[in-house]
Amino acid sequence: MSESNVVLNVQQLHTSFKTNSGYVQSVKDVSFQVQKGETLAIVGESGSGKSVTALSIMGLIEKPGVIEKGKIELEQVDLTKINDKEYRKLRGNDIAMIFQEPLTSLNPLFTIGNQIAEAIKLHQGLDTKQAKVNVIELLKRVGIPRAEKVYYSYPHTLSGGMRQRVMIAMALSCKPKLLIADEPTTALDVTIQAQILELMKKLKDENNTAIILITHDLGVVAEMADSVAVMYAGQIVEFADVFTIFADPKHPYTQGLLNSTPKFYEKNEVLQSIKGTVPTSNSMPIGCRFNPRCPYVTQKCLNENPSLKKLDSGRQVRCWLVEEEGETLV
Amino acid sequence: MIKFLIKRLLEFIPVLLIISFIVFTLVFVAGDPVALLLPEDASQEDIENLREALGLDRPFIVQYGTYLSGLLQGDFGKSFRYNSDALPIVLERLPATIELALSAMVVAIIIAIPMGVWSASKRNSFVDLFATGGSVLGKAMPNFWLGIMLILLFSVTLGWLPVSGRGSWMHLILPAITLGTGIAAEMTRLIRSSMLEILSQDYIRTAKSKGLRKFLVIYKHAFRNSLIPVITITALQTSTLVGGALVTETVFSWPGLGQLLIQAINTRDMAIVQASVFVIAILVILMNLIADLLYRVLDPRIKYN
Amino acid sequence: MTLIRSKTETPNTQKLSISLLKSLLKSKTGIVGFIILVAVVVVAIFAPILAPYDPTLINPTKMLKPPSWIEGGDPSHLFGTDNLGRDILSRIIYGSRVSLLVGISAVVLAGIIGMLVGLVAGFYGGWVDMILMRLVDSFLAIPNILFALVFLAVFGPSVPTLIIVIGVTNWVAYARIVRGETLSVKEREFVKAARTIGVKNSLIIVRHILPNVMSSFIVISTLSVASTIILEASLSFLGLGIQPPTVSWGGILSDGRDYLATSWWLATLPGLAITVTVLGIIFLGDWLRDVLDPRTER
Repeated sequence: MSESNVVLNVQQLHTSFKTNSGYVQSVKDVSFQVQKGETLAIVGESGSGKSVTALSIMGLIEKPGVIEKGKIELEQVDLTKINDKEYRKLRGNDIAMIFQEPLTSLNPLFTIGNQIAEAIKLHQGLDTKQAKVNVIELLKRVGIPRAEKVYYSYPHTLSGGMRQRVMIAMALSCKPKLLIADEPTTALDVTIQAQILELMKKLKDENNTAIILITHDLGVVAEMADSVAVMYAGQIVEFADVFTIFADPKHPYTQGLLNSTPKFYEKNEVLQSIKGTVPTSNSMPIGCRFNPRCPYVTQKCLNENPSLKKLDSGRQVRCWLVEEEGETLV
Repeated sequence: MIKFLIKRLLEFIPVLLIISFIVFTLVFVAGDPVALLLPEDASQEDIENLREALGLDRPFIVQYGTYLSGLLQGDFGKSFRYNSDALPIVLERLPATIELALSAMVVAIIIAIPMGVWSASKRNSFVDLFATGGSVLGKAMPNFWLGIMLILLFSVTLGWLPVSGRGSWMHLILPAITLGTGIAAEMTRLIRSSMLEILSQDYIRTAKSKGLRKFLVIYKHAFRNSLIPVITITALQTSTLVGGALVTETVFSWPGLGQLLIQAINTRDMAIVQASVFVIAILVILMNLIADLLYRVLDPRIKYN
Repeated sequence: MTLIRSKTETPNTQKLSISLLKSLLKSKTGIVGFIILVAVVVVAIFAPILAPYDPTLINPTKMLKPPSWIEGGDPSHLFGTDNLGRDILSRIIYGSRVSLLVGISAVVLAGIIGMLVGLVAGFYGGWVDMILMRLVDSFLAIPNILFALVFLAVFGPSVPTLIIVIGVTNWVAYARIVRGETLSVKEREFVKAARTIGVKNSLIIVRHILPNVMSSFIVISTLSVASTIILEASLSFLGLGIQPPTVSWGGILSDGRDYLATSWWLATLPGLAITVTVLGIIFLGDWLRDVLDPRTER
């Protein structure tokens, strides 16, 4: 793990939102690194702080939200310290983002070509003509047929899958070092999902882009990710490479997530759900945040929140059971 | 496109029919104008003769029929006061009213767009407070009073601008501001709420994630989208605009339709009143049609069917 | 059914009025509006007690006196006097009566007409609906004030005609809301069921339509009282509204226009009275809209 390969280094990120009753932390003490060509999946239920983490990296947390603490280093530059203008130069250029809803993420009043060319013209200083050549090239690369025609089309004339391809083309238009994909396939049909994931993989291999993939779909994780961070209630509860997570989940929450996902090779299995819901940021339980839903809860879990403990082989788990019993868990 | 236009124009027919019926009924109820036409000492026989000559002795339905067939030929009746066809007299005054209404619209746009956009993009700031407060105040002031206050300040006290009449652009300033303020107040409110809604859309986040400057995000990606509902509702207010113009013209002795109309009402010159109502109604309907076309141009999602 | 019935039960209305009061105390503009409106109503009701003079009393010895705080002002006439020596303060106090009377009665009338038209159009549908909706379009194509002017020219200006005229020109907004609600209520299963077992239309109207349109009705009515007061003042200003000797704000303003060069207060003070009153009503209406009708945008 040589230092120069690390594209993104997030350390102790705390992001909060100001409400009528004081500050509410939606991301607490999150740290991770992403390397060149690596895909990191951030997994969790809705409300776990995944998207807020992504928006914090993009610098798109807006009032009443605020990054309270922590570092977000993109190739050794701390993004929490740079000004607005410098951030704008990075956004859409070095870091790009794909959103969950392709249907509403494109402006209905401008053509596809106009919207993709916008970023290219801005960051690469090309004129409209040159940008158009690039855009059509991009559209072809993301597998859009009749790219010249689509260039002049409006978003509403394209299907959801096509629009997500457009979003990907837009995100990749300036060859970003880091791509954040927030639930890129959730809103799409299953067959289209597979195509989009395939496309993302292909493009990642071509450009050696680092990807942060935010999802709640473990099928997508298995397909795409190199390493996985499981988030619960604003904190990372388990971090490991993808094989370890699937083969030997340590945290009860990760285990619960895996048990609630159907596996096609196991017949007659009983799917389990994790009972209860993610606590809201202003009603956090004392002690371990997962304790109300945890099947192995102990007195200690009710009193103290465990820290993220590093185990061997680089994996990390936030659980008292792991701290006390070493690596063996019930 | 053509088909759409024809369909919309066909929809006007029943509306105009209803208006003609209402206007005619009102005038019919008002009683005949014969007494105004003849000298006071005219005999009963003279009155009867004139009534017969003008067709005023016939039943309501027949008179309405005659009136309608006249309308179809562009005949809105004769003005008793001017002793000539009513329609040309009304049309002659129209340009002045349109000039005033358009200038007021320009004033409103100049005030409302920056105020609305600015207050939406800096919500709860001082600017926002000023814009929302100003727009409530603009709605609360009767425009004839505002006009008089402007005359008091700029014409009587400071002597910068003429008190009344039409002619140079100097004459236009105060009436345009008077009429424009109310429209600006409503427009500011509309633009603000429309912008607030658009700014929370996903595609605004997309635009920001491209690294666009805030100015571009607001004016390219949000403003145009927010204009669509603003245009629709503003067009629906053409009727308010024209109504305001009638009053403003009286305040500034602006020689437009409003002044003509008030005179006609005071002298019971019903042909002029009828023709004015029609011309104004058609103007309002046309403005709505133009707005309809305009937002079809702005929004590629809408098809002509 | 229980859910629907609970809407009209009394304990809830009591709770509602308490929570309304609580939220009024939180809204600064709401409170200001409420206080202004209460003040104007009190002034209108107790005008004979509050006014220092008879508003029509002519006093040739004190013509065009400026307000008392200005040099040359007469301490016994706080807001000065007009060209006939009448006390402006008294005239403004009495003027509030006409404004409120016309404003409120015309809005009630408009609400009744709009409700009837909307119900008929929504219930019967078909060609009845089509004709009524074209009628709505026609009214939208004629400016309110123009319609009122023509109407007044025909029937002659008086307070009752003024109320009728403004009522007849302002019903459109109500008709649209009631019609929309009627159409949607008509399609709901329980109403269909109720109709098949022979429940009377009047019962459906009272039970299901009225409670649903009530909040929009209150909001629109409040805001239309504001626009009606302005409309009445405009008509009186144009000389076709309230006729002397009845005192109205628009009328005082119109008189004052001729003395603009010498006596600014004549035109300024009644306009201020209109503006403050309307401002108060708009504040109250906006607050009511925020509380009662979250669907409509501010």
